[in-house]
Amino acid sequence: MRKRIKRGDKEKGYTRSIVQRSGQNVYACYQCGRCSAGCPFAFEMDILPNQIVRLVQLGQEDELVQSKAIYLCASCFTCVSRCPKGIDIARIAEAVRETADPKGADHFGPDDIPAHRAKDLPQQAYVAVFRKFSK
Amino acid sequence: MNQNRPKKKIGVFVCHCGINIAGVVDVEKVAQRLSSYEGVDFSVDYVYMCSEPGQKLIEEKIKERQLDSVIIAACSPTLHERTFQGVAQRAGLNPYQVEIANIREQDSWVHSDKDKATAKAARIIKSMVEKVRRNESLEPITVDITRRALVIGGGISGIQAALDIADQGYEVLLVEKDPSIGGHMVQLSETFPTLDCSQCILTPKMVEASRHPNIKILTYHEVDSISGFVGNFKAVIRKKPRYVNEDLCTLCGECEKVCPQVVSDEFNEGLSFRKAIYMPFPQAVPGTYTLDTDSCLGLLPIRCGKCMEVCEPMAINYDDQEELFEEEVGAVVVATGYDLYSLDHLGEFGGQKYPDVVNGLEFERILSASGPTGGVVRRPSDGRIPKNIVFVQCCGSRDPENHNPYCSKICCMYTAKHAMLYKHRVPDGNATVFYIDVRTGGKNFDEFYQRTIEDEEVMYVRGKVSKIFKEGDKLIVWGADTLTGDKVEMEADMVVLAMSMVPAQGAADLFKRLKISTDINGFLAEAHPKLRPVESLSSGFFLAGCAHGPKDIPETVSQASAAASKVGDLFAKEKLFHEPTVVSAEEEFCSGCGICVPVCPYSARSLNRERGVVEVNEVLCEGCGACAAACPSGAAQQRNQTDDQIFSMVKAILGE
Amino acid sequence: MNVHYYPGCTLKEKAVNLENSTIASMKILGCDLQEPRGWTCCGAEYPLSEEKIAGLAAPARILRQVEAEGGTKVTTTCAFCYNVLKRTNYALKTDPLKHKRINAFLKDDIAIDHDTKEKTTGFPPYHGNVSVVHLLEFLRDDIGFKEIRARVKRDLSGLNVAAYYGCRLLRPYNEIGMDKPDDPVIFEDFITSLGAQVIDFPFRQECCGSYVSVSRPEAASEASYRILRSAKIEGADVLVLSCPLCYYNLDRQQNLIKEQHMEFTGFPILYFTQLLAWALGENTGSLGLEEHCYNPAPLLESLEKAEVAE
Repeated sequence: MRKRIKRGDKEKGYTRSIVQRSGQNVYACYQCGRCSAGCPFAFEMDILPNQIVRLVQLGQEDELVQSKAIYLCASCFTCVSRCPKGIDIARIAEAVRETADPKGADHFGPDDIPAHRAKDLPQQAYVAVFRKFSK
Repeated sequence: MNQNRPKKKIGVFVCHCGINIAGVVDVEKVAQRLSSYEGVDFSVDYVYMCSEPGQKLIEEKIKERQLDSVIIAACSPTLHERTFQGVAQRAGLNPYQVEIANIREQDSWVHSDKDKATAKAARIIKSMVEKVRRNESLEPITVDITRRALVIGGGISGIQAALDIADQGYEVLLVEKDPSIGGHMVQLSETFPTLDCSQCILTPKMVEASRHPNIKILTYHEVDSISGFVGNFKAVIRKKPRYVNEDLCTLCGECEKVCPQVVSDEFNEGLSFRKAIYMPFPQAVPGTYTLDTDSCLGLLPIRCGKCMEVCEPMAINYDDQEELFEEEVGAVVVATGYDLYSLDHLGEFGGQKYPDVVNGLEFERILSASGPTGGVVRRPSDGRIPKNIVFVQCCGSRDPENHNPYCSKICCMYTAKHAMLYKHRVPDGNATVFYIDVRTGGKNFDEFYQRTIEDEEVMYVRGKVSKIFKEGDKLIVWGADTLTGDKVEMEADMVVLAMSMVPAQGAADLFKRLKISTDINGFLAEAHPKLRPVESLSSGFFLAGCAHGPKDIPETVSQASAAASKVGDLFAKEKLFHEPTVVSAEEEFCSGCGICVPVCPYSARSLNRERGVVEVNEVLCEGCGACAAACPSGAAQQRNQTDDQIFSMVKAILGE
Repeated sequence: MNVHYYPGCTLKEKAVNLENSTIASMKILGCDLQEPRGWTCCGAEYPLSEEKIAGLAAPARILRQVEAEGGTKVTTTCAFCYNVLKRTNYALKTDPLKHKRINAFLKDDIAIDHDTKEKTTGFPPYHGNVSVVHLLEFLRDDIGFKEIRARVKRDLSGLNVAAYYGCRLLRPYNEIGMDKPDDPVIFEDFITSLGAQVIDFPFRQECCGSYVSVSRPEAASEASYRILRSAKIEGADVLVLSCPLCYYNLDRQQNLIKEQHMEFTGFPILYFTQLLAWALGENTGSLGLEEHCYNPAPLLESLEKAEVAE
């Protein structure tokens, strides 16, 4: 698939907004892949954590907010503990979720929990998943 | 302290420096104004004073007008002071009668108001006129040179430097803390890119060094301290007791057979054992056994004594003592080498828990024909031949967050070499290399790496490894393939980690004692990263090898030879010249308070209690002026920068 | 001995066995747990955004209350609460903008006294100075593992225990710093102090799936399965942990794991406080073990040596 990569105002503006929301210098990433190597949910993700950072560097908002990967992040911080450049990838993922268009993104709400599970789940799971994944 | 103002004829030469100065300062006007200043005999402007015609102009005018002193109003003295001092000398004038008035960095480059800049330029030049009016003609201080070199470290860099200095005809002391010279290079199996057997190419040099009439090898010795200054060092060297006389030892090996103490063998990186009395490796230079008292049962009192009993040539002597002695040398080459970053720091790889996760040097010993496995690739845990081996690059390097920020330079090449050698010995095995980048900048290096991939079918996966752990018999490696976008989990029988190079153990302590500067990573700091790569900022100290930074053998040898050449430069001089602009201690005014003594960073001043005055060792004085500032009576005056001169410069700047 | 204790919302309802065993064991060790008045849910997740920081208000308020009650320290067993509270302190201490914004927001709180109905407002700022300690740290530093050793009434030497840290007790290291990030020992030292055998296993810090088990249960159960499998392979009889969500993923979800992995036959999970209470003499009936999906009671009762020593 041929992709036209532009470095226009829209792309640079998006990168800047993620940098601001996450407080991370995304340009420090040299794509070593260690974050992806340790991520417990990388096996299920459509784009890997290092690819998320790469797309942020390129300012590719659409691909990022439509990914499933950002809704598989468990905030376990393994990526952060491994990164040789000290980049907090979990914060970058959170920033991308913040910018996601609710209409286009795969988010999660109370109606998505089947009743038989609902009574068993611990409160902290509810609070956590809604704060992270729903608008 | 008023001196009589001698009636000197002073010449002023104002440089345009193209438009650098003339674009802001009206140089013609300045030259004109100065021509009427007291004592100025001649004043002119010219477009480029440092050019050949510019220099010629100055030389001619000095001779023609019989000038006593000259001021060059131009750029910073750090650039051309020497140039113009040379011009003066050619014209027969003492170089210390030349002063530079900086009207570029301190005027035209920092101001834009032309009128004010022009006025400032005139004031700067006038202040320098006032200074040079009082300048004395000085002669540099000459210093003798001890034409003998000390090389610290007996690895390939130390050996090469020693050989090159010795071949130039000078005596060399080669000090090495281990029982034999050879360093880490002698532990390697084969070297890239030629796959030469490392010991085969190194041992001839080791033997050459041992036989060279100009080289004195001092193994099992350490440098305790060095005092003095360039050309005139006094090194205190500590001889550690070996308990074996190297001249009598015949290497029969009987002592080793009867020794009851078995300890980990450092030469084999802990993969095998040795006795307390041992020879590190068969080709050791000097060829002798050494008794390691840390592992011996004890000599005070003698708990065992078996080795001495069986030693026919009577080479073993339990009464051997540590000795401290002093040697005079003129130059020091620091070649203390490297060690590898410890696996302890990589807890996510198991730290030191898993015997089958090894570092590069351990793998070299496994590959080596003289190693613990006779050159057969075996796992340390059970001796089985690994069918799946994983190599991990960048372990502890390129990691500013948690480990070392720098690239360790040699790992990409030696990992390719390890993978290639593994495939040569286990053709049906699988070798995988996890990498971020592959750096192959030397001659024939990239070709070697391409052969590893194309001919040996070693698989390179682009992604750093996050975790290594053991499950049953196998090691599990968690990595990533950033090129295909996959998280990768791989089973391996053995893992080799390319650990970062770090300065040798104990080197940090030595560098502190020698007072030579290091960079933030503990490697030796060079005087200039581009133009002076083998000299330290401490005059007389030269650097070679990995003590200066990670590098491979060809670069190490180049640097060692370069350091030797610099030592030769030093020794080729008849005498050394030291700047005469030192600080005195005028006896007439010195009250013997001694305040200036501890203030001096070069320990150049001392209080003579009998005479009640301070004495200065002019050769050590670097003319920093700290003592002159501290002296309450004004007895400490810097030559050609006296208090009188400074006050007159200030007056000239403030006046008008 | 008295210490402030923050249970968190989950312990009061879904993790009652964790709460009860905590209170019981602390009582035996002579420590009273005091809950701060009017505490709320801590928010479960520490807000990772630089802009949406309202999530810091609740944990800051809880800690402010502890300070107002004269407490300098608050202990908790829930790993989520521990993580949120401790990181809130760090944020308030190191980020002046967050400190300013959160305290400005909290200043206008209106607190209504439960009994007197009196209203209080205009609260003093909170600077992040209340020390947040996990119960394991409290047991190690304030009570001492030696003291626990002395009080243990059962011989647990035949029990192989794997300690599961999970993520939130240890990471991010520079903000939490409970122990060395890649080779922590506190949980293992605790198990040793009870007299049980420590089983080291490589998945002790891997994520169990966390809240992703709500939205993507099959993906999360994969993560949980790997942890249980590793503990089993290394020879553990039981796994101990300190988080109600880890407990949910590793115990309550075992039926889902069995569906995905036929060879999985179940594995007993205990909260560390249940093991502690049992070691200190409580009987298995009082630990709430029947609520577990895989009941650990038969395992505990099978240890002959572990009869209560008089």
